[in-house]
Amino acid sequence: MSTAVFRAMLLGLLRDRAALAMSFILPGLVFLIFAAIFSGATGEQLRLEVAVADGIRSSTSVRLIEALGREPSLRLIGDRDLTAERVRELVRRGTADVGLIFREGTSLESLGGFGPAPLILVSDPARGAAVPMLAGQVQRAYFSALPDVALGGVIELLENEFLELDDDQQRDVELGLADLREEAMEAVEQGRVSGWGFQELFEREDVAGRSARHNHVAYYAGAIAVLFLLFSAVHGAITLLEESESGLIDRILAGPGHMGVLINGKFLFLVAQGFMQIAVIFVLAWAIHGIDLPGHLLPWALTTLTASAAAAGMALVVATACRTRRQAQTLSNVAILILSALGGSMVPRFLMPDLLQQIGWITPNTWAIEAYTAIFWRDQAVGTLIVPWIVLAASAILGLVVARRLARRMEVL
Amino acid sequence: MGSPEVSARDSDDRPGNGAPVEVRNAHRRFGDRPALQGVDLRLRRAEIYGMLGPNGAGKTTLVRAICGRLALDSGSVRITGADPRREPTVRRQLGIVPQEIALYLELTVGENLEILGRLAGVARRDLAASVDSALRWTGLEDRRRDRVSTLSGGMQRRLNIAAGTLHGPEVLLLDEPTVGVDPAAREKIHELLRDLRDRGLAILLTTHDLEQAESLSDRIGILVNGRIRAEGSPESLVRSAFGDARELIVSLSLDPDDRGRAALQREGLTAAREDRIWTGALDGGFESLSELGRRLSESGLKVGEVRVREPGLRGVFFRTAGEELDE
Repeated sequence: MSTAVFRAMLLGLLRDRAALAMSFILPGLVFLIFAAIFSGATGEQLRLEVAVADGIRSSTSVRLIEALGREPSLRLIGDRDLTAERVRELVRRGTADVGLIFREGTSLESLGGFGPAPLILVSDPARGAAVPMLAGQVQRAYFSALPDVALGGVIELLENEFLELDDDQQRDVELGLADLREEAMEAVEQGRVSGWGFQELFEREDVAGRSARHNHVAYYAGAIAVLFLLFSAVHGAITLLEESESGLIDRILAGPGHMGVLINGKFLFLVAQGFMQIAVIFVLAWAIHGIDLPGHLLPWALTTLTASAAAAGMALVVATACRTRRQAQTLSNVAILILSALGGSMVPRFLMPDLLQQIGWITPNTWAIEAYTAIFWRDQAVGTLIVPWIVLAASAILGLVVARRLARRMEVL
Repeated sequence: MGSPEVSARDSDDRPGNGAPVEVRNAHRRFGDRPALQGVDLRLRRAEIYGMLGPNGAGKTTLVRAICGRLALDSGSVRITGADPRREPTVRRQLGIVPQEIALYLELTVGENLEILGRLAGVARRDLAASVDSALRWTGLEDRRRDRVSTLSGGMQRRLNIAAGTLHGPEVLLLDEPTVGVDPAAREKIHELLRDLRDRGLAILLTTHDLEQAESLSDRIGILVNGRIRAEGSPESLVRSAFGDARELIVSLSLDPDDRGRAALQREGLTAAREDRIWTGALDGGFESLSELGRRLSESGLKVGEVRVREPGLRGVFFRTAGEELDE
């Protein structure tokens, strides 16, 4: 008899164009939008917009600004005659991500002393990450494009504190620094690193050999899939209340059928619907963004199956706990939005504070997203997926059992 | 249809096979409000039993108790001799036709019958024959592939009934089966119900439509405040309420005051609807009417119209349930 319920729901969905679009077109569309947004915000293509005011106006400050202008991750905005006040205003308005002021009356050459810092970073707290990024770039440019200045400063410091150079040594140093300056300026103009300079402290190495763009697509495929999975499951489960209002349940219960038959049939249908819905999103992620779906078909299928079952169980609990369709609609909207916000379907979990990340483990979204990212992002072994599968399957069974119990209220008045 | 052919009314008391439906001394309260206060009801095979009653009289509670979906505080319900709550399999003998169109509106006629047939317990091997038979019976064969939402109100009602009988029940419970249909469609539905009765089904028809109840029912019960106040064939009910008298209807132009109300009650009249329409029996000849009019006027009543007609079920109903009717 449950197959009859399954068939009724399937035919009902196929004849309802709005529900079909909501289940299979909208999620794909939203995923593509999110993937486009977040695959472009990985930091790889990010260019900081920097407003610079040169209050020092020395040859060194000009060289440093030129070197910064050649940094691919920075874009200097405005003209070269910006005042410090104008830089602050540009940052305040959001025209510039961060401002750099060369403080008037200071020098970049001298590293000793207790005077004020020669460089001021102007930041908007909302763009806090821009400050360390620019500071890092300035330091890098200082040591790579102005090695003569950095080294000169060190020698000056040594002379002041530890040793005294005689005239010959003094001359050799000056000649050496002049050569170094010439070579460094030539290198900057040619867009290469100076042949003499400070050794790079960092070398970058990416794990798993994939781009961040690819990983974010994998994350959002899972996140969007679970969000819409929950909405569609609830939409499907609420047909139970429609059937109650139309007298269909009275008709079925007058015969040998009971609520368990109805709940089982709906559960099976919702699992199948959820599976297909997630499949659409991941096929798009594979076809358009190159996620390796064929290479991970089995773990993906098991994750999708258990996630769909968990969503179906939860949706049926909502439908059976409520007395009216309107009540169920309101309750489910609130529940889904909260679960999705906590579970990482809206904002990536790795951007959340630790406490929220911990709370997220109570949501099906988190478990499903963790499983999908383990498969497609971190390329983890199947063993790490067992816990998410068990949790999702257990919540599906729990949901089904609770929904069947609650449905008894419709059966016996 | 596959329904059992049981035509002998006297077969109800065969050993081990009780009456299709037997309710004894049923009591049920919801909080402080009594819904059933000692209802006795026995449906016979091959009869249509019309259950009349004002809103809140207990009709829905009674039907739910018969279906085994509601526990009684005391009393008993038996379907063909078995308690539907203790032995749910006996519910297979029940078919239900709710007042709403309890169908999947976006599915076709055929799909609805197939799905509801399976849910009603029709075996897969018998399903095709049951569906074909139901389509022929309702005259919807050529609409088999049409969606239910595209059918006329009358066709939807016929399908609603057919869906409740696919599994061949012995008892059919119908709630307002002709709401919102035109007279021709209504007559067609009446034919279907008489046909089911002639095939041996016991049919419990709950309705507010007095003409329908009178023309269709073999017996009628009037349920008021959780009690069956009157029961019998339409003719016997009319006879016991009016005897050889005619039905008298007094319409007032203004609401009566307490003195006027007392005068109306002294004349044996009962408020039928609102406070301005009072009914009763006219025992004497027509000449007594002018005397009645004079007495009512003297009591301060503003009489708009006095009518006399052959008594019918309407009069019985208003006399029995009059004071409980909604405004």
